[in-house]
Amino acid sequence: MEGIPPRRALILVLVVSSLFSVLASSSSSSSSPSQDVRILSAERRIDLTSFIVRAFLAFKVENTGASDVSEILIAFSPNEAQHLAIVKASTTAGKRKKKAYLPLDVNPIESPKGPNGAQLFSIALPTPLKSGDTAALEVLYVLTHSQEPFPAEISQSESQYVYYRDSALLLSPYHIKEQRTFIKTPNSKVESYTNVSPSNRVGTELRYGPYHDRSPYSHSPILVHFENNNPFAVVDELTREVEISHWGNVQITEHYKLSHAGAHHKGVFSRVEYQARPSISGVSSFKSLLARLPPRVHSVYYRDEIGNISSSRLRSDSLKSELEIEPRYPLFGGWKTTFVIGYGLPLQDFLFESSDGQHYLNFTFGCPLLETVVDRLTIKVVLPEGSKDPSAVVPFPVKQHYETSYSYLDVVGRKTLVLVKENVVPEHNVPFEIYYKFNPIFMLAEPLMLVSAFFLFFIACIAYLHTDLSISK
Amino acid sequence: MAPKPITSPVPVEWYPSLSVLMLSIGLVLTASFFIYEATSSKRSRSLAKEITIGAFSSFFLGFGSLFLLLATGVYV
Repeated sequence: MEGIPPRRALILVLVVSSLFSVLASSSSSSSSPSQDVRILSAERRIDLTSFIVRAFLAFKVENTGASDVSEILIAFSPNEAQHLAIVKASTTAGKRKKKAYLPLDVNPIESPKGPNGAQLFSIALPTPLKSGDTAALEVLYVLTHSQEPFPAEISQSESQYVYYRDSALLLSPYHIKEQRTFIKTPNSKVESYTNVSPSNRVGTELRYGPYHDRSPYSHSPILVHFENNNPFAVVDELTREVEISHWGNVQITEHYKLSHAGAHHKGVFSRVEYQARPSISGVSSFKSLLARLPPRVHSVYYRDEIGNISSSRLRSDSLKSELEIEPRYPLFGGWKTTFVIGYGLPLQDFLFESSDGQHYLNFTFGCPLLETVVDRLTIKVVLPEGSKDPSAVVPFPVKQHYETSYSYLDVVGRKTLVLVKENVVPEHNVPFEIYYKFNPIFMLAEPLMLVSAFFLFFIACIAYLHTDLSISK
Repeated sequence: MAPKPITSPVPVEWYPSLSVLMLSIGLVLTASFFIYEATSSKRSRSLAKEITIGAFSSFFLGFGSLFLLLATGVYV
């Protein structure tokens, strides 16, 4: 099984490697500060068991220069940077049992770029690294749309194979003394992989390395062709509306445009075969999705343009609610579906008053569907009528703007804060806050409108009975 | 200071009974308003009494219909 891949794959490797050949050869010139740091050991574990590619990078840096170093750079190839959803860095503090993970700030560096457009990110160290000292860092980065289906079209009975492109060597602006890369595939069906000696495959794991003393920006393209039948569920567009009512409810409405981003379906779809032999027919398709909703959810609905979709189940416990939804048809590669999920939540779980008298909504960002990529996520927070100065506190950069929306019994409209983020992965499901000022007296606006409407009716009756409309005297 | 959760001014569980109670009071007052209008003659009618009954019944009808909206899930 191990060894040089077949000729077909080899040609593709050559094509890919030609793209990066310039990158691989360029190791001569690099900026001066990076020479003061070198990586003693680096270990990268790339998890390909789902549609989302997660890579854990653990490395040890040493300051070989004379001055202190306060930030460490990591590099991504232009292709990776384009599909990069999130980068998180942490360092360990304390020893053994009291070990704690300390999150670190990661910021992209717009300019200068590395050679061949490599995108650099800087990790701010908690304490500057003194000359001769070492520090251990851990980085998690998540890539989306990085597994390319090959063949690009499959029939119902075929299994889905994908390509994953990466480098056997860690792209880094520093000299790396020793490095290894482990790639975990969903199963042991690996069609081919690029051999960069020493490399081998054990079961579901591809091992590259150890490689010793590689110069900065070394690159060695690899291509892995393997079976991946996990659901390639991508939400092309998700709009979540969060409507706050101070009368005791937070109403969520989520509009989904879901698609299967895997190998496109070729030929006819046989429902009989799909139902009769689920183990071999349509293995790359998916027919149900799980949404994790907050606890104490009520009035849940799941519908589309036609009406209610009855194939959903809700399970609730004290920590979470799980909504299992089945679209009207199983989704094969390239197929799409749209639907709406709505639910109500108790106000006291999400709305709080801060010490300075402001109100704030504490809600979870991201998509409730498990293991799903959202290409474009829009969160609209509809504040009650009469609220002032809304501002958002989100732990990562998002685009935001304001709108005015109208709902029941509105006169001036509700202030709406719109947050837009592209390329959202489950790692983005973290709480965010919306702060705003609200005077509870505005809650009386709606009942007073109803009261005055009824009162006008009575006045009209009185006026009618008090006027004499008869013609004859 | 720990964040203080914000609750609705009236417990959510009270909405259905509040709406029934207030709407029935409102409808009884409306009925008495029209009975008064129909039974009193044009000269014996007092405008102050008419407006008072009308104001009270519209107050109860207004809040009753608000609680009816809230109880049915239309959170305004």
